[in-house]
Order: sequence, then structure tokens, then C-alpha cells
Amino acid sequence: MGLSYRMRLISICIGIFVMVGVGFLFKSLLLPNSFGVYGPYRADAIKEAAQVPIRHGTNDSCFKCHPFEARIQKAGLHKTISCEFCHGTYADHVTEGKKTGILPVKTGKEITTLCLRCHNTEIKARSEKVIKTVALPNHLKDQQVKLTHTCNQCHHVHAPLKYINRAKQITGLMEKGI
Amino acid sequence: MTALASTGVVSDSIGSATMLISNYVFPNDLHVHWSLMIVLYPYITGLVDGAFIIAALYYLFDVKSLKPVARFSLLFALAFLCCATLPLLLHLGRPERNLNMLLTPSPSSAMAGFGYIYAVSMGVLVAILLFVYRPVLVELRASSKGWLQIFYRIITFDSIDLSEDALKLDGKIIRFLVAIGIPIAAVLHGYVGFIFGGVKANPTWSTPLMPVIFLFSACVSGISAIILAYILIRKVKSRPIDNGCIATMIKTLTGFFILAFSFEMLEVFSHSYLKTGYHHMVEGLLNGPLASSFWFWQVKIGSVLPLLILGIMGIIKLRPYLYNFLAAGVSGILLVQVLIMRWNVVIGGQLMSKSARGYTEFHPLWFDKEGIIAVIIVMALPFVILFVLGKIVPFWAEDNEV
Amino acid sequence: MKIKDPSPDMKKRSFLKNVLNGTIAGSLYLVYPMGGNAFETPEQIPGIRNHAYDIHAQEFAFIVDITRCIGCGSCCVADKQEYNVSDGNYRTWVERYVKGFSDQIYVDCPNGGLDGYQTPRNDIAEEIRDTFFVPKLCNMCKEAPCVQVCPVGATFTTPDGFVLVDEKRCVGCAYCIQACPYSVRFINPATHVVEKCTWCYHRIRKGLLPACVDVCPTGARKFGSLKDENSEVYKILKGPGVLTVLKREMGTWPALYYKGARREVV
Repeated sequence: MGLSYRMRLISICIGIFVMVGVGFLFKSLLLPNSFGVYGPYRADAIKEAAQVPIRHGTNDSCFKCHPFEARIQKAGLHKTISCEFCHGTYADHVTEGKKTGILPVKTGKEITTLCLRCHNTEIKARSEKVIKTVALPNHLKDQQVKLTHTCNQCHHVHAPLKYINRAKQITGLMEKGI
Repeated sequence: MTALASTGVVSDSIGSATMLISNYVFPNDLHVHWSLMIVLYPYITGLVDGAFIIAALYYLFDVKSLKPVARFSLLFALAFLCCATLPLLLHLGRPERNLNMLLTPSPSSAMAGFGYIYAVSMGVLVAILLFVYRPVLVELRASSKGWLQIFYRIITFDSIDLSEDALKLDGKIIRFLVAIGIPIAAVLHGYVGFIFGGVKANPTWSTPLMPVIFLFSACVSGISAIILAYILIRKVKSRPIDNGCIATMIKTLTGFFILAFSFEMLEVFSHSYLKTGYHHMVEGLLNGPLASSFWFWQVKIGSVLPLLILGIMGIIKLRPYLYNFLAAGVSGILLVQVLIMRWNVVIGGQLMSKSARGYTEFHPLWFDKEGIIAVIIVMALPFVILFVLGKIVPFWAEDNEV
Repeated sequence: MKIKDPSPDMKKRSFLKNVLNGTIAGSLYLVYPMGGNAFETPEQIPGIRNHAYDIHAQEFAFIVDITRCIGCGSCCVADKQEYNVSDGNYRTWVERYVKGFSDQIYVDCPNGGLDGYQTPRNDIAEEIRDTFFVPKLCNMCKEAPCVQVCPVGATFTTPDGFVLVDEKRCVGCAYCIQACPYSVRFINPATHVVEKCTWCYHRIRKGLLPACVDVCPTGARKFGSLKDENSEVYKILKGPGVLTVLKREMGTWPALYYKGARREVV
């Protein structure tokens, strides 16, 4: 009541400063845990990023239960190919050590399409040092097979030269270097 | 010719070593992330800034002829500032987390200051208005009851002291607040320009001129808005228009517009003269996807035409009726020009893929969180606020003085 | 005279730091649930498993050998599978560069390379001099523009050199998307927060290679620790071969290096 207008304004200013102070107090109270440990961010976010579930298990995890395929694949030229690229991820197949899902197996034309992702000469970007490429249908003509043949009718998909080398051994062509 | 050529292949002119814009866009660049709402945000803060400049000219620099619109421009600024965060909230992927901006502002980010700058400018603007309208509010307090009276008691600082001494003090406080308000307003808007200017990955944005261009075009849009609003409202209400006031505003507008347009053109000129790394992308952008919205709408219709009109208004002595008519017209054009300019900067800049080889496309949606309807609603809200404020306190100086 | 005690604030901070380091190092010994006994699979990055992970003493590098990339898109498929990346967005992708005899470059990247490259480009009028593939992923910049611009500290550089996203803090403003010169970021349509390649940080911390590196059939993608003198990346970086980074003029100092990248690669 007795306050002059001037004094009122001064007290209002003080009030504003107090409110700003309270605001900053709230700011520090609401700061998330682990914020600022390494920098202006939540250090726990690193931990969370490290705990994202793994879905690709690597070839070795597949081979544990598939020793037969493992033996073939590891011996062939396709040893660098990931099982999970063609078949899908480990996580879609196994949960906590138990098989929980069936992974698709490519068949027929799908296989040819899959092979040509890497082995198509037409793309003209594939160094011979890195990969052997073929052009379809020339390759089928050269090998004197039907043009409707899919790749896996001659090539084992997990070890492409497995049958071919075997056939050459049997016919004795291998020794002649043909 | 190839299919590519027919889709508008542009190449720059450095002899044989041309960089072909073969329309390759990075896969993640197809989508324009900053759309209409980010066009709108700098437009709204620009209007706030420009309106504040008019008020500052009167309250701080004693340009007496602006008295009729001084208070109105403050109310206008407030109405738009109230809605300035809306486009941002509509834009955010997680708007409910908006307080993170205040809680954990990153010291390295230009955008982090937003919450604080906005809060301070809002505080200062509200404070200025409370002191400017104190005599009116004291009267309202006397004639109100209940909760409303308590509200008025608070916003009049529980004082009904309207003595000459008190009003003189008010005047001093207003001058002080306006004085600190100018740099705050400049920061509020200039930093929006800097947010764009600081993106080195984008060749049209990354220029130190960006905040300057944004500031001057902000002043242009804000002053234009006040001129247009003043003339329209007075016409609708069949009240006289203060010709001196309009003339002063037009002169101020002319000055700011010459600066804004010069800097806009300087940026384009520098790009095409320097021909640095990604110049071919900027050139291709302005002559390709933005050819009509930049060269025709922003430059020819939006800038050269108003400059001619403003020139005529400055040189030839026109009859007041014609002068006011042209003032309203030129203000309208400039309001649209600034909006187009924001579009060309914000959307245009994002049309360039960072592949430096192609442009993406942007078509605004009607019904979307960031669509055209939402834009219209956001732009209409300040006028609703202004209408409500106008019912409570008088807009113009002389209405109150009668 | 007594040695001055550190301020209580500093004490608190270093205590917090120790606690946090401890928990992170400790967590290594936990077996992460990964569907089965994943940790019976051999370690791919030596020296991570069963070691205390000192987050301040790590340095990793990623090298893409363009001369070995055949554009099969295995990496893109693996990436999409590892993270269930939404359609139309790409954490990694493979571009096809076609260079004509006029030095013009034609680039394309249908569906981010997810479907591989089954057909040659036939829409180019001039004679083609060369074709090559360029895999793209996060550059893990040491001076990351995305980290600089993030207003809320939701994107940050970890002490071990990774640029990661805190999806619990991200507000989805997309400023980092604008700032990234390499366009590796996008908004996840389901969570509305930003997402990007992490170099499979979760795999690395368990001693496994990033999914794209693991599945690459030709060794075009290489990843390893620079603290390990036997790692392939260490040997490459130590050797005389020319390595480049993308958009060097941006001053971002990527930890992603390219081997055999021609000057036209952007």
C-alpha cells in the first residue's frame, strides 16, 4: 500500500530475476542423467547404442548348426559370401538358441537374378581381378546348354565350381588344362 | 538425344571440363525436410521485427510522425510473436520434446539459442506494451470486477499512479526497453538467417550475407504490413488516414528495401562472379527449378516493380489519395515478395542435392501437418489475436486522445 | 602450505566420469542377448571382447576400396536387414558412376542399390570410358557439422570417435540433415527422430565387424582398429597408397577413407 510506483517497479524487477533464477534451477534439476559426462550430451546414449540387438550373426553362427553346408561353402569360391545376404538374418531364424523362423531359399529364376547381381559382365564395372563375370545368354550358348537353364543347374550355389571341377576330374579334362 | 538431356541437363560454362548436372539426387535428398512451416517461421519473425522497427523509430528515435501507428505496431508485433513458435512446433518430428531446447541447449549450435532469444524478446515486448498501455489498463482496471480485475491489477503492477512523475518514469522505461529491444529483435531474426547461413553443406545458404539479407527483408515485410494494415483498417472503419505518417513509413520502407534488394542481388552476383566449387548448382538452381519463382516473381514483379513505384512516390508529388493507394499496393507486393524470397531461400536451397549433380522436387500438400491449410491457419491466428486485443485496447493513438 | 583441494564440483564430475567409465567397461562382461550363443562366433575385431573397453583409448577407421566394389548391393541389403530401415531411406547405399569419353559423369542409384545393378545404363548417348561403384555411408567426421548444429545435444561425437544419435533426446528438427554434406541422415518415419549409419556401433562393441563389412564378398569395405597394428586398415593407412575423403573442402575430417576414388566422386 505504502509502496510508491517506483518501488513497485524495482520489486517487480527483483521478482523477474528471482523467476529467472528459479528457471535455471529447474533446468539443472531436469537435466537428464549422465548428461555432460563426456560433453554436452547424454553419456548413457552411448551405452544404449552399444546395446542395440544384433541381427546379423556372421557365417560362423550359421555354420554351428549347418556343418554340411559349412564344409562345402568354406571350400569353394563363394567362401566370402555371407549366408545372411541370400537367406536372411540369423535373428529371423534363431532366438535364444532355438530355431524360431524359417528362412527363405531362393529357387529358379530368383537364383539367376541373384547370381547376376555380381557376375554380370554387362555392367562393365567389375574388375577381372575381383570377380569372374559372364554375359547371358552368351554363356549358356557357349556351354551348349538350354537358354532356359538357371545357374544352379550347373553351379552349386554355395561352391560354384564344385560340380564343374568334379566333372572335369572324372572326364580327365582337368589334366589337359581345358 | 538421351533421356537425361530432355529432362533439362544443365552444364556450367568452364570450357570442356564441364560438370554435368545429370539429375542424380542422393537417395536421402529426395525428400525436402524443411518445408512450408520453415518458410513461414522466418516470415513471421520478420513481420515482428519490421513492426518493432516502426515502434522503435517513434519511441526511441522520436520520429513524431509515426505516432498514429506506434502502439499498433507493438500490438501487431506481439500478435505475430505469440504465433512464431507454432510453425516450429508443427515442423518438429517430436514437438513434445521442445523443452529440450531450453534444458540442454548445445553450446555449439546456432539453433540452440532459440528458446532463450525467443523468451527474452517476448518478455521485452510484453513489458514495453504494458508500460505503453498502462494508462489504458489502469482505466480498465477501475471498470472491471472479479478475476478480471485481479488480472488487470497484476499487469498494471498493482499501481494506479498516473501522475506526471509516474508517466515520465514510464516513458524512460519504455525508451530503455525499446533500446534493448532493437538488438534483441535483430538477434531474433538475424540468427534465423544465420541458421541458414551457417550450413556449409548448402552452397546457396552458406554466406555471411544471409543474416543481413534476412534482417533487411524482415524490416521490409514488417513495415509493409503496418502500412497495409493501417490503411486497410482505417478505410474499413471510415476514419481519416494520417498522410504524414504514411509518407514517413514509405520513406523508411524505401530505404530498407533498397538495402534488402541490393544485398539479395549482391549474393547472386558474388556467386556468379566467384564461380566457386558448387557454383554450377546455384546457377542451375536459379535458372532451372527457381527460374520463375526467383527471376520473375521475386526479382521482376516483387522487387523491380516496387522499386519503380517507390521511386515515383519519392520523386513526383502525388495527390494523397493516389499516394495512399500506391502505398497500400506497393506494401502488398512487398509482403508477397518477402514470402517468395523466404520460399526461394528455404525450399530452393533444399532442392539442390548434395550430390552436386541434380535437383529434387517439392510440391506442398494441402492437408498435412505442414501443409497449405495449416499455413493459412497459422497465418490467420495472429489476426484473431489482434482482433481480440483491439476489442480491449485501442490501436491508434488519436482514438484514445479524443 | 596445503595443496588446494579440487572444487567439490570437479570432484563430483570426475566421480561421475569414473562411475560411468566403470559401468561401460563392466557391461562388456555381460552377455548381450542376441538370440543364441552369439559369442561363440569368433571375434572379428581383436582386443574388444573380454577386455576393459577404455572409451578414450580407441580409434577406428573405415576404408572403402572402390576398385574392389562390384555393386552387388550385399551391404545395402545387410544394412536394411540389420536395422529394419524404412523403405525410401538409406543408412548406406551404393552409387554407380559412369564416365563418358567427354569426361561427363552420369550417376545413378536406383533404390539405393538394394536390388543390385542388373542392367547396364542404356540412356547415355556417348561412348562409355569407365564404370565404377561407390558405396556411401556415414563419414564419422572428426569435425562433424551435424554434431555442431544439433540444438539439443542429441547428436554427438563419442570419445571413441563415433558420431551417434540419442533417439531419446532428438526433437526431429532436421537441422543435422541440412548440415550433413554427405546426406547420410534421414527422419525415421516411425519414430520421427533422425537416424543414420552408426558403423554398427553395437556390433563393434561386441567385437563383430559392421554388418556391411561382414557381408561384403570382395573386401571392398574394410573396418578395423587403428590401435591394432595387425589390422588391415592400420596397414593400409600406414602404407604409401593414396587414400582420399569425400568433400575434403568441407573441413569435416572424415574417418571414412576411400581407396581408388576418382576426383569425380562427390
